[in-house]
Amino acid sequence: MERSSPTGGMAASPALSPALPSASPPAFAPALAPALAPIPRPAGRLLRWNNWQAALLVFVVGMPPAIALLPPAFSFWVAAALAVLLAATLVVNAWGRHTGGLLVAPALALLFVMNIYPLLWSFGLSFFNYRANRMKQPTFVGLQNYANVITDPVVWDRLHTTAIMVVLTVSVQMVIGFLLALLFSKQFPLRRYLMILVLTPMMLSFVAVGAFFRYYYEPSLGLLSQFVRLFTGEPYVLMQSVWGARAGIILADAWMWSPFVMLLVLAGLVSVPKYLYEAAAIDRAPAWRRMWSITLPYIRGLLLLALLFRTIEAFKLFDVVFLLTEGGPGTATETIAVYVYRVAFQYVKTSESTALTYILLFTVIVLTNLYLYLANRRIKEA
Amino acid sequence: MFKLALPRSAIAGAGGAAIPLLERLGLRAASGVGEAGWGRTALAGVVSFLYFFPVLWIILTAFKSYDDVLAVPAKFFFTPTLDNFRQVFSRAYSVQGQVQDTGFALFFFNSIVIATVSVAVALVLGTFAAFGFSRYPLKGNDTYLFIILSTRMLPAIVVIIPIFLMFRITGLAGTYLGIIALYTTFNLPFTIWMMKSFFDELSPDVEDAARIDGSSDARVFFKICLPQVVAGLAATAVFGLILTWNEFLFALLLSGVETRTVPVAMAQTIGGDIGVRWGLLAAIETLFLVPVIIVTFALQNQLLRGVTFGTIKR
Amino acid sequence: MQRQGELIAAACTAVFVALAVATPTSAAAADVTLRMAVQDWPPTHIMKDLFDKQYKAASGNAVKLELDFIPWPDYYTRLNASLTSGEKQYNMAVSDSQWLGAFIEGGYYLNINKYVDADPGLQAVFKDLHPAVKDSYSTYPYKSDKLYGFPQMPDLVVSYYRKDVLCDATEQKNFMAKYKYKLPCSPEEMDGNDWDKFRDIGEFFQRKKGDMLMGKPADDDFYGIEFQVGKGYDFFTTSSYEFLWQHGGEIWDETKQPNAHALGVMNSKVAVESFDHLLSMVKYMPPIAKTGGLDIFKTDELFREGKVAINLEWIGFAESSINPQTSKVADKVAFAQIPGLKTPKGIVRWSVIGGQPFVLMTWNTDIQNKEALDFCKWWLSKPTQIAFAKAGGQSALRSVYKDPSYVTFRPWNRTWAASLDWQKDFWHVPEFFELLTEQQEEYTKAVTGQQNAQTTLDNIANFQEKLLKDAGRIK
Repeated sequence: MERSSPTGGMAASPALSPALPSASPPAFAPALAPALAPIPRPAGRLLRWNNWQAALLVFVVGMPPAIALLPPAFSFWVAAALAVLLAATLVVNAWGRHTGGLLVAPALALLFVMNIYPLLWSFGLSFFNYRANRMKQPTFVGLQNYANVITDPVVWDRLHTTAIMVVLTVSVQMVIGFLLALLFSKQFPLRRYLMILVLTPMMLSFVAVGAFFRYYYEPSLGLLSQFVRLFTGEPYVLMQSVWGARAGIILADAWMWSPFVMLLVLAGLVSVPKYLYEAAAIDRAPAWRRMWSITLPYIRGLLLLALLFRTIEAFKLFDVVFLLTEGGPGTATETIAVYVYRVAFQYVKTSESTALTYILLFTVIVLTNLYLYLANRRIKEA
Repeated sequence: MFKLALPRSAIAGAGGAAIPLLERLGLRAASGVGEAGWGRTALAGVVSFLYFFPVLWIILTAFKSYDDVLAVPAKFFFTPTLDNFRQVFSRAYSVQGQVQDTGFALFFFNSIVIATVSVAVALVLGTFAAFGFSRYPLKGNDTYLFIILSTRMLPAIVVIIPIFLMFRITGLAGTYLGIIALYTTFNLPFTIWMMKSFFDELSPDVEDAARIDGSSDARVFFKICLPQVVAGLAATAVFGLILTWNEFLFALLLSGVETRTVPVAMAQTIGGDIGVRWGLLAAIETLFLVPVIIVTFALQNQLLRGVTFGTIKR
Repeated sequence: MQRQGELIAAACTAVFVALAVATPTSAAAADVTLRMAVQDWPPTHIMKDLFDKQYKAASGNAVKLELDFIPWPDYYTRLNASLTSGEKQYNMAVSDSQWLGAFIEGGYYLNINKYVDADPGLQAVFKDLHPAVKDSYSTYPYKSDKLYGFPQMPDLVVSYYRKDVLCDATEQKNFMAKYKYKLPCSPEEMDGNDWDKFRDIGEFFQRKKGDMLMGKPADDDFYGIEFQVGKGYDFFTTSSYEFLWQHGGEIWDETKQPNAHALGVMNSKVAVESFDHLLSMVKYMPPIAKTGGLDIFKTDELFREGKVAINLEWIGFAESSINPQTSKVADKVAFAQIPGLKTPKGIVRWSVIGGQPFVLMTWNTDIQNKEALDFCKWWLSKPTQIAFAKAGGQSALRSVYKDPSYVTFRPWNRTWAASLDWQKDFWHVPEFFELLTEQQEEYTKAVTGQQNAQTTLDNIANFQEKLLKDAGRIK
């Protein structure tokens, strides 16, 4: 039976329900603990295969000395062996309890090896004063790198720039994506082909986008300037002011990724039962009312998913910025990702760059949790 | 908020003229997309064309001779030439040098293979994992999911040095296996999140019924759940493909001469003795777009029809 | 039967003896592979061509040169990642002179002094190199006697100019009427150019679409002058240091560590004057200069599209400027030295040297090093360098560029010998990227009007002083 109320519709709305982690503690190890409690066995047997705590202890205790004392090639293998041991205990632990663990294990294992382990490795590095192109053995400096980063005004400036650009580009993307979705929400002739046209910006390579947008914005030769010149007679130099450069980048980025939002919102729009609109038409409800009461609840979950993913991606904004302005003019568009690249690769201050990245990660995690908390709260309210 | 209390039959009666015949007769879905006519097509056409214009310019540039590319005023009408496309495959590297094969066909092949395999593997692993998270939630499920999401939160550069080192030590650098494993890892978080959303939406009744009838878990998964989320698979495949197809940084650093992909080859058209070889870059990009467009077009129906999260229920 | 057996035994013995005799010589010919990281552009492709066609190892070994052509804009990323990750993939690499400090102190680049001391051939090469080139490309610390590399493609900034525009009769007449001296036209006249004339040319030739140019209405905006003022890498610095040095200013002097300072030097009165002088030219340049986006590629592109009369540019781009397939002004370009500063004592010229050296790595085996050095000797031998120059390359060997045939190879070669005498390089210390990036940021803030020259240079001086103090290079 069709749902007869928006609330019912919202419950059906994807991604709002179990997909989002609950609003309660964004915890890590503490949350893991009860989940992975070893199956009760006779006490005193530390070396069970599913004793993940023991494996974790060995891992944590063994890594720093290994990194500090051994040459990288050896410490890598030691760390890899410990990591595999830990992963194995986790897997075995899960196996004994659920099929779920079995299903989940391969994906988690791959993620662990290729993603999480390198992240942990570089996290460990952030406590040393390692520079990749110096021959000195790295020494342990504790939180010094973090202190340096947090007190560095340059970092705050970059974060400030990034925040502005994230807010602007995500807002523009959400609005344009939403409008595009509205446009395509009805079946009309040639819809399939026109939609492909709108989807192509997502499919372009950054190299091509960077080069061509740089050309479009160029005052002497570019298309934008030629267009404006038809009206003003003067070449139009978009990228010479701080806000002009930011606008240029935001335009290019939003242009590329609004189709992503469009697709997700379209999925929701398509799922709204038609008779609801018809009933609203009979009641002579105005269009905005229809939108607010009928449509929004169905797409809210997907909107939030789009918002979540686009925000995360926007924080990592690097390619478009680097190719269009290299962070200029001056430092007007230098996002934190560009800055991290400079510190890590150009200045080769490896440890400092990892400290900086983890602070960035922390910021993004806090923000994401905030989203999810607010999102979940609204479900509970409604 | 106005009441939606009118039962369906009342609507059918009172607003009879407003409901198309086919739906009244029940021959067409009662939800999904509504109808609009050529007016909408015109509007969408204009909007789509404007949106597509920057891409169109790139494609046009691919067919332009050198004199036309940066012409002021910009040329919309010109004599097309296929010279740029020829140069994609074989060109001379210096003025007096010989025309050589650029190996582009190999790069293209590499891109196709690497993208397809990594998306496919991510889809398989991710769908199983998503099913696991959805149907057999572990305690701390949310935490796992959050950690998976957070692996996507950092700029790629962070993991470059450790991965670089890992690859060199294990000898994976420059091999297909290495880069495919890496790309699969990149695609996993999004796959898991998307597919989990889809699985969560399925009604458990059908599955429970099947289980009571004695179907094994595997049968339930393959015969009942999976067909219903085909759209989700399509959507995830498209997004994953797009991301992997255009990935540059890791391809630059970790691919060897034999496993180089097209984005890296594209970078060869920039810098050096000429800023940008516009015609060549445009030609490469145009060729590079074709497979993605084909796949998206093919999957488009799945994408749109199926992404209704199973609300077409009776 | 026994007869046959004896015959076989004799044959085998003969074979063994023959092998035993032959083995020493065949064992001496080894297979050596040299892997070199290079940028992907014509000079390195020409090098490969010449190697494939002409190279025979003096030692008789079979030497294979594997070049990894890496796209130019990502070259540093890839080379840096390769070196710092410890993968030891390359035996040689084409480097930039600025990177010497960073990679030498990282332990990657090989010091070749002991090889040079033992090899008269190498000593001859170094004696034949122009001292400015040797100092910039080979020595670290700068101008010391520790040697690390050889020039693969030396490069300089020269004037590219439109001889059709400057020599046009109408323009000559109007210019004379306005400025009361002859507009330089021939390459020799342009060689004597100074910044005042340069500015006048910039002002004179700034035309809007529809204004008269060479007796006909211009079909698009036209500009008289341009030079690099871009944010990337060292594009702005190359121009600003020209002005700085010509005005008599200095930069932080790495050869005088730890006593040299940046504060008071980078923002001295002379430095501010020179920077203001540079900024005064920007208004005559194409409008993209105001965005900080006028880098070496853009200046080149605008010139090849026919929008500018004079471009101060690296020689590396010259080949594409005279090629009709890549340039709309292919047959209208001439080359001269860059302008200098007119002083009571005459015209003062200074410029930043460019180009790339190649280096050997510390993990090479002895035989690899031997073959690599032989390769370098071959590359820097007169016949090879002449072949390279004929194909459009440049040579820093005196015996080559002073040869009368050299100026016939390319129209810009005539500027080469004279220009080499006034080249300097800036810092090679490992901190160079931080110094450079901050400097470029400040410069582009000035060119976009966000701050004035004094503030810019004060910021730069303070930053450099602090950074170098923290690094222990300033007491």
